[in-house]
Amino acid sequence: MSTPRLLALVVALVALAPLDARAQATPQQQPAHPAALAQRQANYAWDGDLLRASFSYRDVLSDPASMKKLSSGLPVVIAMRAYVYRQGEDVPVALATRVCRVVYDLWDEVYRVHVSEPERERDQAAVLDGVLRLCSEARDLVVARRAALVAGQPYFLGVVVDVNPVSADVVEQMRRWMSRPTGSTEIGPADALFGNFVQLFVRQIATSDKTLTFRTQSLVP
Amino acid sequence: MRRGPLLLAIGILLGPAPARAQAVHTWGAQPDNPPAASTPAPPEPPPATLGTPVPGSASGPSGPPVADVAPPVARSPDAIGPRYTLEGLEVRGNTSTLARVVLRYVPFKAGDVLDVDDPELELTRFRLLGTGFFRDVQLSLRRGTRRGRVILVVDVVERNTIVVDDVWLGIAADVDPSGSAKPLGAYGGAKVTETNLAGTGIALGGAFAVADQQLGLRVRLADPQFLRTNWIAEGELLYNSARDFFGNRDVLVYDPTQPENEDYAVAQYKRFGGHVGGGHDLGVSSQIFLDYRLERIDASFPLAASDHRGEDVEPIDFMLVRGTSILSTLGATFVNDTRDEPFLPTRGHRLVAGLDVGLSPLGSDYPYTKLTLRASQWLSLPWGHVLALEGFAGSIFGNAPLFERFYVGDLSDLLPDRALDLAFDRRPAPNFLSTDIVEIRYGTYAAKLDAEYRVPLYRGARSVYGVDFFGSFGVYALANEQDIVNHASGYTGLATWPVDLTFNAGLRIDTQAGGFVFGISNLVGLIPVRGQQSGAARP
Repeated sequence: MSTPRLLALVVALVALAPLDARAQATPQQQPAHPAALAQRQANYAWDGDLLRASFSYRDVLSDPASMKKLSSGLPVVIAMRAYVYRQGEDVPVALATRVCRVVYDLWDEVYRVHVSEPERERDQAAVLDGVLRLCSEARDLVVARRAALVAGQPYFLGVVVDVNPVSADVVEQMRRWMSRPTGSTEIGPADALFGNFVQLFVRQIATSDKTLTFRTQSLVP
Repeated sequence: MRRGPLLLAIGILLGPAPARAQAVHTWGAQPDNPPAASTPAPPEPPPATLGTPVPGSASGPSGPPVADVAPPVARSPDAIGPRYTLEGLEVRGNTSTLARVVLRYVPFKAGDVLDVDDPELELTRFRLLGTGFFRDVQLSLRRGTRRGRVILVVDVVERNTIVVDDVWLGIAADVDPSGSAKPLGAYGGAKVTETNLAGTGIALGGAFAVADQQLGLRVRLADPQFLRTNWIAEGELLYNSARDFFGNRDVLVYDPTQPENEDYAVAQYKRFGGHVGGGHDLGVSSQIFLDYRLERIDASFPLAASDHRGEDVEPIDFMLVRGTSILSTLGATFVNDTRDEPFLPTRGHRLVAGLDVGLSPLGSDYPYTKLTLRASQWLSLPWGHVLALEGFAGSIFGNAPLFERFYVGDLSDLLPDRALDLAFDRRPAPNFLSTDIVEIRYGTYAAKLDAEYRVPLYRGARSVYGVDFFGSFGVYALANEQDIVNHASGYTGLATWPVDLTFNAGLRIDTQAGGFVFGISNLVGLIPVRGQQSGAARP
């Protein structure tokens, strides 16, 4: 091959390679800001000074692969983090977490579930529907104290649900987070689970078997 | 100058484009088809049962709490799963990989008591994914023949195991056979490995590099579990037909086959031989490798040649034994690697220490000892970017052959790296600091400090795993013993320190086929800077 033809080939390769990367980028990308996450409904309630939220993420376990994994006889961990964002900001002000661990007992034909919530750990035996309710729904989850929110400003939850997170550290950090007193969900820069939206919702994607992210509708305290 | 725009476009690719070891993504299999645009509606939220409902909630408080679960049972929070007796193991989904190859990585056997909380189960999955043979691995249990007994099932999804380890493509400043400078010459090459040969788990690799009158070939065979032990066994055959260039455009040559006054003196040599070695894990993140190398070298170069070194004229050392010689070495390499990813790491460190000893008592014509140390640290910054810091130091004591010495192109991003030990470029260091490093292409002492800043642009989970923009800046030094004890004349003060700067910028792309770097440095390197072409100090 003559030198000009070789150079032309090189130019063509240069031009094509980045285009290929861009072409595949679109369907995989996470939004740049938490407000742009897919929205789903939640129920909010004030319990005295505490803001509680109830929402569902059942679809994280709805596919056949996840259902099969639930009945594999080996542990499955569903770790949920709900970050409280002020509308228009990318850094969360509070965090509520919930970790569920499920093992199917092959011979007793029952699911053994361990749920870790703020100030509470419990073991239960359940059938499949019970597992889905226990492990893929947040009910009356304390997400913030009133004092942590600015009155009149809209807030929403940015939620990350991981199935079988690869990093055991993340699960351990969540467990430690849940040992804080009720309502102590405010995040400081020194907290292990602190980060901006890109760190929490974009860079950590694909560090588990399956990840689900969404936001809830806004709430004005 | 009419070639300028064309060269600018080419330059993006000119930087050495090494494809690193294939990134092993240990998360589960990705769906074959991405989710359709019309995804099902998200589930309705459960009703709130405590407190006062907030206006705007999906629905008011209603409905009972969870009722269809059995009463709580008392269990330890860290061990909720039962224990079974393992009745057997079963491998599914393997069409080309032998079941015994899969089972090598499973540390359980029939009769063992299996605790479902045993972390070894998850590690087994990662170990199998880490082989690179499989796109996905899932472990599960099924009932055995009697109550309390189970069978451990390993489901694998095999993947394409042909991996592109390296790709080289670019242009370099070359020299014609008579020793005259040529403006540009193309070079290229690739290294490809089948990591699971016929399903045996043995890796077979080949590599080639080619440039004008240069050819390098490699064939490599590696067994990651030699004789079913924890030792890695490896053997490689090599052939190089190479040449190298000496001097800085004003050499004097005494050789009947080459004109007396030429730009460069040219040495030509052929290498044929290979190495055998073994490696062993020293814990989760450390490995040690030992190898023995034996090569025959046939070298020809001018009977005598001289070149300016500073203001003096000195004979050229071709760093090879004329005619036929033997190179025989023993080597040891220690690796400690805690990176979270092989190609676009965001945290962790990598330490590589190497020792090579020429076995002159056993017939080697090159008595030398080579020590190298490379340490890298990756730091994840709070705003999502990555900072990488790297240090390298190396020294050679004795008479090492040319291709074993430290080469300026391997230290500077502005010159092409060597590929399969072939040097494609005749130029010395760019010499931004006007020091006597311009007199040195090969050295016995080398050091480099480098910092790289990366900005993630894209993350995916299918064929392209990630794209990062990077910018790097470094300082390096290269010297021989004489450059330290008797530096080149004509240089004074700090100019006697053979130090130079290097930089690069471009894209790092992690793909299913390997990692690729598209940098602008090689283009920048083709723009001469002061002192580069003829040396900073000349009479």
